[in-house]
Amino acid sequence: MFRVTDAVPTTIIVAGLALAGYALLMTALNRRVGGVLLAALGVLEILLLVLVGIIVAKLAGGGRPASLPTLIGYLIAMPLVPLVAGLWGAVERSRWGPAVVAVAGLVAAVLMVRLHEIWTVIGV
Amino acid sequence: MSPEAAAPPESAASAESAAQPRASTRTGPGRLLVAVYALFALSASARAVVQIATQFSHAPVAYVLSAFAAAFYIVATVTLAVGNPAARRIAVLSCSVELAGVLAVGTWSLADKATFPDATVWSGYGSGYGFVPLVLPVFGLLWLRRLGRRG
Repeated sequence: MFRVTDAVPTTIIVAGLALAGYALLMTALNRRVGGVLLAALGVLEILLLVLVGIIVAKLAGGGRPASLPTLIGYLIAMPLVPLVAGLWGAVERSRWGPAVVAVAGLVAAVLMVRLHEIWTVIGV
Repeated sequence: MSPEAAAPPESAASAESAAQPRASTRTGPGRLLVAVYALFALSASARAVVQIATQFSHAPVAYVLSAFAAAFYIVATVTLAVGNPAARRIAVLSCSVELAGVLAVGTWSLADKATFPDATVWSGYGSGYGFVPLVLPVFGLLWLRRLGRRG
């Protein structure tokens, strides 16, 4: 059965890992952060914001995770990941900029697994 | 949409840094190092605050060690980002404490499981965090040593 609480985190994991792979390739090829990586970070940002919206709706609907403070921390931190990585990576004029972006992709994927551990309503 | 531009060749980059009195701790590989340190500073301190505030009696030793680790990640992040001579000395100290901490707590957590009903960042040499807590201070110290030689 298709559930949006499963589909969005799964998409974020795939997108995050794909972004990390591409960004590491750029590091290997000695490239800087450019339009493609920034656009990919933008897509990741939108996906994470959609997930924040879904989780807030679940909380508003009366659902409660094992640890509410932890979940709220994740809701605040999640959308900051692509934003901060984009800023920090774009100012670097070497191959290490894309490496920062790769970390953001990996972090997004790991966050989905951790979210599932905090609250199994959020599938992966 | 512009593709990823090629980075300037190494010679241009080193000429650029040679113009400055000192190579920066936060550029080049340091950019990645500061990013990962910031990530661990944030996640370890947030986790420690939640654990100590909500369930301290469950695993007091583990949670105090988590807070201790978080404090040193914050110090390392800030000092590596600042990068002046005083900050570099503090960064070396901080990375050294982290390395000693992850080795000591890693060993302790394996030898005395009863003290650690819940994990710290350094439990099992950082195995819950992909062993990043083990390699991070090593890379930090190598990076600072390399800059120390150049500067």
